[in-house]
Amino acid sequence: MRPCMRNQQRNLRPLSGLLALVLLALSPTSVLAQTQQIPAHPRELKYTTLTYTPPKRDQYRHVLSNGVVAYFVEDHDLPLVNISTLVRTGSYLDPAGKEGLAALTGTQMRVGGTTSKSADEFDEAADFLAANITNFIGPTQGNANLNLLAKDVDQGLALYFDMLRNPRFQEDRIKLAKSQMLQNMERRNDRTDAIEGREWSRLMYGTDHFSTKETTKASIDGITREDMIAFHQRYYQPAGFIFAVSGDFNTKEMLAKLEAATKGWPVNKQAVPSVPKPVNTLVAGVYTVHKADVNQGRVSIGHAGALRDSPDSYALEIMNDILGGGGFTSRIMSRVRSDEGLAYSAGSSFGLGVYYPGNFRASFQSKNPTASQAIDIVMEEINRVRATKVTDEELETAKNSAIEVFPRIFATAAQVASTFAQDEYTKRPADYWTTYRDRIRAITADDVQRVAQKYLQPDKLVVLVVGNIDEIGKGNPDKPQYSLLKIAKDGQIRRIPLPDPLTMVYPSNP
Amino acid sequence: MKKTSLSLLALLLCVQFAAAQKVPVQEMVLDNGMRLLLVPRKGDPNVAAGWVARVGSVNERPGITGLSHLFEHMMFKGTHAVGTKNIDENLKLIKEMDTVRVELRQEEQTLIRKARLGEISDNKDPKYRSQRHKELLARFNELTKREKDLMVKDEFDRIYTTAGGSGMNAGTSTDFTVYFINVPANKLELWFWMESDRLRNPVFREFYSERDVVHEERRLRTDSTPTGKFNEQYESMFWQSSPYGWPVVGWPSDLEGITREEALDYFAVNYAPNNLTACLVGDVDPVRAKELAQQYFGRLPRGPRSPEPVRTSEMPQLAEKRMVAWAETVPQVRVRYHTVAEGHADDFTLDILASLLSGRTGRLYKSLVLQQSVANSAGAGQDGRKYEGLFELNGVAKPGKTPEEVEQALYKEIERMQKELVDANELQKVKNQYAANNFRGIQSNFGLMVQLLLRDNNRGWETINTDPARHQAVTPEDIRRVANTHFKPENRTIAIYYTKKKADGAVDDPALAGLTDQEKIQIGQMKGMLSQAKAEQIKMMLSRFEQQASSAPADKQNFFKVVKKMLEDRLKQLEGGNQ
Repeated sequence: MRPCMRNQQRNLRPLSGLLALVLLALSPTSVLAQTQQIPAHPRELKYTTLTYTPPKRDQYRHVLSNGVVAYFVEDHDLPLVNISTLVRTGSYLDPAGKEGLAALTGTQMRVGGTTSKSADEFDEAADFLAANITNFIGPTQGNANLNLLAKDVDQGLALYFDMLRNPRFQEDRIKLAKSQMLQNMERRNDRTDAIEGREWSRLMYGTDHFSTKETTKASIDGITREDMIAFHQRYYQPAGFIFAVSGDFNTKEMLAKLEAATKGWPVNKQAVPSVPKPVNTLVAGVYTVHKADVNQGRVSIGHAGALRDSPDSYALEIMNDILGGGGFTSRIMSRVRSDEGLAYSAGSSFGLGVYYPGNFRASFQSKNPTASQAIDIVMEEINRVRATKVTDEELETAKNSAIEVFPRIFATAAQVASTFAQDEYTKRPADYWTTYRDRIRAITADDVQRVAQKYLQPDKLVVLVVGNIDEIGKGNPDKPQYSLLKIAKDGQIRRIPLPDPLTMVYPSNP
Repeated sequence: MKKTSLSLLALLLCVQFAAAQKVPVQEMVLDNGMRLLLVPRKGDPNVAAGWVARVGSVNERPGITGLSHLFEHMMFKGTHAVGTKNIDENLKLIKEMDTVRVELRQEEQTLIRKARLGEISDNKDPKYRSQRHKELLARFNELTKREKDLMVKDEFDRIYTTAGGSGMNAGTSTDFTVYFINVPANKLELWFWMESDRLRNPVFREFYSERDVVHEERRLRTDSTPTGKFNEQYESMFWQSSPYGWPVVGWPSDLEGITREEALDYFAVNYAPNNLTACLVGDVDPVRAKELAQQYFGRLPRGPRSPEPVRTSEMPQLAEKRMVAWAETVPQVRVRYHTVAEGHADDFTLDILASLLSGRTGRLYKSLVLQQSVANSAGAGQDGRKYEGLFELNGVAKPGKTPEEVEQALYKEIERMQKELVDANELQKVKNQYAANNFRGIQSNFGLMVQLLLRDNNRGWETINTDPARHQAVTPEDIRRVANTHFKPENRTIAIYYTKKKADGAVDDPALAGLTDQEKIQIGQMKGMLSQAKAEQIKMMLSRFEQQASSAPADKQNFFKVVKKMLEDRLKQLEGGNQ
């Protein structure tokens, strides 16, 4: 052995580095190593116990004098600071006919300058500071982020709050953004993955829910600068904020900085409307979208899921892990990919929604002749996890994995801050993380079967296939027992046409 | 890649480092030549663990393209100890399967020959198979079934998953193959056990069905995306002699033909410890880690011979190359120049030059998107690889503009770089970003682990601490010099993407209705030229053009009409002082 230690100019962690040097000098490593036996199988390896206590929410939680909640997690290893603001808003608040307003407001706040700085001036100032500033509005949340070197934090905060408080919404930037949006809109029917995602949501949540409302040329054309100003004024005010700060800063000082930045900013207590739930009746069956030019079908199979705060969520997590969520140790991956070589990626997710039930979805991509066979296998596995108990080994693997991987949720200061801020935003029960591992430990094979029977409903499955349906329909001449038609229990293969990408009107006769 | 996309690695590779802080790496070299890098860090009780084999598709040859990547998949199939109920039976069975495969290959080659001579239409159609061929397939399927019965399915994955391993994956690139995972701090020995075991005694189970999985991966990434297959062709056109010309996933004909024997030969040389570096970052005790490295990796025998560097280098390009594709995508252009390999002095300058051009305050966005309104987006980047390098500029045309107009506008910005010195402030802005990105890139244990491995794969991990100063040292004169050295017209390769016609025959620009695809391309190219031309030149073109039009055949009249209108419009625009 030729251990070679490099001396470093500056250690990231001087203490542990120094300690390591001392220890190395003392231990006769090579002698020790050679005398040890290597076990024949890893099951014979012995491990020390690892005790881990997750961080406590209250330890990091602070409330500003105006009532805004902020999480501060210090970490002085690297001279970086990250400041994140969650904003109570979302595209679910888009007025009918102005789809795209929330998203456009979010991006234009960032790129359209501020009342005191033109768009160019703002961008130049941010780039010269090497400050990464982002702002966007998603379906049920707005998020503004600032990441920069600690030495520049005051200048960075000034820019960041100028953006949050005084956006200019410069006309030429709005025009450019609309042109880019329209260009991308025209390409909506190009990619089979994009088509699959869009149609899956429509099948799951119906066409009246905000989550499936698409922008159109008319809705984008109709959005004005005044609309954006009004949208910003309504939602971007401290009562809607939660801060998450991590990195190289001092909590007391940062608290004062945030106080100063939000001082005099009117706190609007007007309640933000709640997120609407979908009203949709799923119609089970086989749905297809034809795309001639591809040699692989994309398939999604599933139905409605459950709520995140459901007491069954833990058992559902384990059940799905065994069925298709656990990668190579899960049943769907093992059969579709490793056994048969029918797909590169295959698996399932069980959606646990915060505001309304998510959806259960098994998916894979397979070449035209074998797509139907793979669907058959997935259906079989859905039936099997309901019909028979999972094995002890499977249960053990899934539970152990969830428990052992748990500390990674809080691996970095930024993760601690953002996890707690998100929990605050979505009103997650405060004891969730402290009780999580015990709740997982308590799950039995009976629990898994019970939730499988309760939440997986084979006769309600929706099957969506996007690809060359003519070819997929032909199946595999060597294996005529598998066919799309046989999968459709009502004998019907429904065709979903491609919509006009600018109006999103679906032709009635495909 | 086993599970995730290659873009993650591309992203990691792009992260840059600055000079301010040194990463304290402890290095150890075993007697068999294997290298181990350690960075103990406090934080959560986990270790980011991985290793790299200094081999990628650049080390392949025609006939075995895609082997590095297929091999990466095979490394998860278990070993003598993991993944089987009876290893002796298992090995006997594998031998038998390979014997059947040799005969099957002869049958397949007969069919390939027949297809080549046009005697049959498709060598894969089962109806052309001989009786012997069918018997062999049946025999092989039976052996596959027996192999399955002997297997402990996905035991390799199960052991890690049960122990709390997470994020296990692997990736293959042109220059490297990397394997990684996060393990809980108390499972460090398990990692040494598992990784040294699969490097010592791998068993390539399910070899032939895994080739099918890779085929699906190819369909997913290359065949079934609007630009995937064209991008592959562009890459192959760009490289003339360099092995960078074939795709990492391999050519389909090679994928179908690769044998287990070829995979084993490849393994013996390229996965020998003297061609590997391992790295641990996180909650790790370096003393214990070194003991374990000695104990576990120390038992791997040195390879039969040292892997040789790639011999074939790229020929200098003598003439511009151009590809024109019709795809279901936005109209866009890519322009590539051959430049220098990773680590060459110009590589750092070209990085800085690319940053000056890119981003929202970069020159391309300001000029092409905001001022000229010719593009909706534009960017640039230097891609220095182990043996060669390239610089790429790209842009998406604004509706009503052509990719050729974007192309010409890109050349204008290149010209500025060749003629003028960049402003000190502008350069400082970019350098500030490199300095901050230095810290961002080493924040996560996992990210740092992969960076160290990839750097060690090329020029050594130490470059993480020495490269930042080289970026900071770039001067305006350096930038002007490299722009003149590399950005020559004969050294470039262009890809033009037009939006493919819709199925119903509608075209995007009504003015171009009725023209052939060829004519539309010509119009597009002319528009590009016109954006450069002066009013006088256009007048001359117009008069020459009118003469030609009078004698042109009837089916060309439409084309001439469109061109004439275009020239007139442009002339009006210039004389009206619009530009």
